[in-house]
Formats: sequence, C-alpha cells, structure tokens
Amino acid sequence: MIEKYNYLASDFEKNAPKEMMLLSIISQSFFQPFSLEDNLLVIMTALTSGSGVGFNRAMLFRRDGDRLRGEYWLGPRTPEEAGYIWEVLSTPGIGYVEIIEHNRALIRKNEDTLSRRIKNLVFAMDEQTCGLMPVLAACHKEAYLVRDASKEPLVDKRFLDIIQVDEFLCFPLIARDELFGMIILDNAFTRAPIKPGDIKLASLCGLIASNYIYSATLHERLLDAEKMAAMGEMAMFVTHQLRNPLVTIGGFTDQLLQPGVTEEKRDRNLRIIREEIQRLEDIVFQMGHFLKVSLKEPVYFDAGPAIAAVFNSPEIVAKSRGYALNVKVEECLPQVLCDPTSFGEILRNLLDNAFDATPPGGTVSVRAYRKNLSSFVLSVRDTGQGISNPDKGQLFKPFFTTKEKGMGLGLTFIKRVMDTCGGKIEVQSRAGKGARFKLIFRSWEKE
Amino acid sequence: MKKILVVEDEKALCLLYGEELGKAGYDVTTAYDADAAMAEVKKKDFDLIITDIRMPGKNGVELITQIMGLRKDIPIIINSAYQSYKEDFMTWAADAYVVKSSSLDELKLKIKELVGE
Repeated sequence: MIEKYNYLASDFEKNAPKEMMLLSIISQSFFQPFSLEDNLLVIMTALTSGSGVGFNRAMLFRRDGDRLRGEYWLGPRTPEEAGYIWEVLSTPGIGYVEIIEHNRALIRKNEDTLSRRIKNLVFAMDEQTCGLMPVLAACHKEAYLVRDASKEPLVDKRFLDIIQVDEFLCFPLIARDELFGMIILDNAFTRAPIKPGDIKLASLCGLIASNYIYSATLHERLLDAEKMAAMGEMAMFVTHQLRNPLVTIGGFTDQLLQPGVTEEKRDRNLRIIREEIQRLEDIVFQMGHFLKVSLKEPVYFDAGPAIAAVFNSPEIVAKSRGYALNVKVEECLPQVLCDPTSFGEILRNLLDNAFDATPPGGTVSVRAYRKNLSSFVLSVRDTGQGISNPDKGQLFKPFFTTKEKGMGLGLTFIKRVMDTCGGKIEVQSRAGKGARFKLIFRSWEKE
Repeated sequence: MKKILVVEDEKALCLLYGEELGKAGYDVTTAYDADAAMAEVKKKDFDLIITDIRMPGKNGVELITQIMGLRKDIPIIINSAYQSYKEDFMTWAADAYVVKSSSLDELKLKIKELVGE
C-alpha cells in the first residue's frame, strides 16, 4: 500500500509541542517565494507570537559593514493591544500566511512608534561599543541575558532609553562564523521573567534565521558573479563585433582621403561606410536592449491572441516568404504563466532562428497545445542544418551565435524568461536534420 | 609579382584588402571561407596567405592545419579582431599575428618582412 502525505502540513494537533509548531511555521515559510525581508518577519513573528516562543517584543538589527543598523521592532504598543494580537494569533487554523499578513500590517502601524524609534539607531562595532550591551552580544557572538539593566554599568544608556525594560535577551545572528545581525527580545508588558527554555528556543530560531540570511546572501553573490562573467564575455564579444565595422570604415575612409578618387569609387566607399555605421548602430542598440531588459513578473494570460499577434506582425510575414509555414494552435488554450510581452518576444526569436537556419523552400512548423492540466507547450521546428553536438552545450550562453551577424542573445533571453516563469526548454536536433525547440510553460485552466 | 591569398568572411574587408594590397603591388586573390581558400591553394602557387580566425564553417586554425598538410612552406599571417587568440598555441603555427586595425600599415609591414615588396 502506498499513502501520500502533504509534507508541508500546517494543521498540527492541538497538543503538539509548541517547538514543533514553531519550527514548522518557520521552515514552511522558507518554501514560499517570500523575500528575505518577509522571511525575517516570519522569524520575528515566531519569536513574538503566542503560539511561538511568546516574547512580548522583538527588535531586529542587520549588519551593514562594521555597523549594526536597526531594522524593525515588532510587538504591541500597549498591554491591551498585546492581548488582542495574541488572541488573533492563537486562533486555531490560522496559518503562517495570515500571521505574516497580520505582522506586515502591524509593522506599518508601528512605523510611527516602535520601529521608528530604532530605524535610525546605528551602533558602530568598535572597541568602545563592543564592551557594552547590546553590541557586546554581536561582537562576542554569544547570547546574553541582561537583568536589572538600569543598574548594570555594561549597558549602553542610549539603548536603555529606547527599550525601557530591565530584563532583555540579546543574541547574534551568525552562520559559518559570519555575523549577519542581532535580535533583542523582552517581555515589556507581561513582565514575565525570561526562562532558560525560552532562551534555547529563541537561539534555535536565530540559528535558522542566520542560515537563511546566509544562503540568501550567497544567492545574491552568485547572481552578481554570473552577471560579472556575462559582462566579461560581452566585452570580449563587443571587441570583435565593433572591430570589423571599424576596420572597414577606417580603411575605406583612408581611400577617400587619397588624391584622385573617382566619383564612382567615392559613392561606393560612402555606401559601404554608411552600411557599416548602420551595423554599429544595430550592435549598440541590441547591447543596450540586452543590458536594460529587466524581466517583468509572470502573470497568467491568454496565449491564443498573443500567438496570433506574432504571426500577423509585418516582420514575421516578411520573413516567412519563401518558406512553408505550418502553424497548428489548439483552440481554447489555457491561461499561460509568463509576461505577455516576453512571450511574444520568445516566439518571435524562435521563428527568427528557425527561418535563419532553414534554406529557402524549407518548412517551419509551430505547435501550441496543452500537455496536461497544468502545462502548455509551444514548439517551433525547422528543417535547417540542425545543431552540432559541440554547439548544443553553448546554445543558451550569452553571445554564442552561429549566425554571421547574430548577437547570440536570443536564446539567452528565452532562457532568462523561462527561468523567471518556472518553465522548461527542451531542444532536439541532429546535424543536418533540423531542430525543434519545445517550451513548456505552467498553465491554468479557465473555468 | 608576389601572389597573396586573403581569407576573410567580411566581404567589405575582402574588397578593401584586395584594393589596398593590389595598390601596394601584390597580386591578391580573396576567399570568403576556408573551403574556398583550399580550392584556391590547390589552383595557384601563393607566396603568402592572410587569414581571419572566426569564420562560418571551418575556422582559421583548421584552415592553417589543412594548408600545412598540403604546402608546408607558405608563410601565413593571422589577421583577427581578437587579440586573445594569440595565446592559443594553435595559432603559433602562423608566421605572424596581426590584430585587425583600420590602418593597414602593420599588415603591410609584416607582408614585406615575409615576402618582400
């Protein structure tokens, strides 16, 4: 017997330990495409919600170079508000999405009070401040519980004026020995003493948060590195692309500067120079387009009219002359997940490639159909020279092209769009036997 | 008159090289790709070959290998838009490497060095 379970279960039994609930809420939130900020909010929520660790208030500092910068302060402003919020949050069946929504609203509300008080609060991590709480916790990379804060000489007075409680817990956010920030917790309203169990649980939340920030930071660095690599390739490519027209323009201009140029030769040279200038303009335009294209958020939209628009466009009509163009689009297509403008560009690019690869008289076939209830296929097939095996691995790399005057950005663009909307690309080809590009999009059936 | 073969896929550049090197007193033949170049090499006894590297079909390095299999003694000048191919040891088989420039002076100088006026 095989049984299927949802591994993102959110409905734990009432008597499940709160640690279990807490870890479940946090780890599930990381499955959602929330931003780093939203996920930090989940951690902060877990620390303050009644079903979580249950601290009254949580304050977050993020590291900014060698300083700690106040980010936000979560928690009720009055004991009445605290009571109300805990009631809401401990309602059975309330999920993490609702909690985050609630806290987002709360943070907006707190903008004028709690959060604003720490928003401009910046601690330098120098020798002097590292000797005083709360920065001491960050510098020493340990959790510290402070009691009788007003009588304690090792507490920063400026900080005490803001937090106005006698007992608070400070712990650093660390992953792989790197400091990412600091969290400060207190029980300003209930005045409940902070117990060793609460500290352990809070530290665990901090550990998860740190690892999450760490991986998000790594991801950002990876994207930057990829961007740098692409820029390097671009610089190399541009050198070549620009040099040929420049040599041609320079050479034919030098000829014009020689004495005794015939009128015929002058006209010819000027025409060649004009054409090369046009080529330079095209290169510059395409580079600019590639650099500034920022992909829009994918949405569900009607693919049928978008496909028809591409086939009716004058460029495609002109390009398809001399070829057999065979289009089969299923009626009543589902809603497809993609940015509609990018979707049109994708099809245009694929058709461009198909026509360029196919000798006149060849056939280009386009199919659009639903693969199943949640996916839609757009495929473009040509009868051209096909893709050689060594080229297959390079197809989607920026600036890789087999065309004489291509930029090698079309398929790179397609890959970027497909990655953004969670789609897949399949390429089938054998040298001399044509090629087929199959794009698989996520789709949704209309009611 | 020394006979030079120019292999270059950019037609405007072929025209330019043909005219300028012709004016400098050479007998210039042009070919737009490696296969056409090989056909010319078989037909005519060239004194020098100038070739691009990045071309549709076979590239310049492949062409050099082919030519050397047929006639080891012909001097070859690589004329590429890329500086970086200089580090590719396959291009060391050539006698000179000239990066494309709108002034043909360096190219002409190398030709003179290799085959004379």
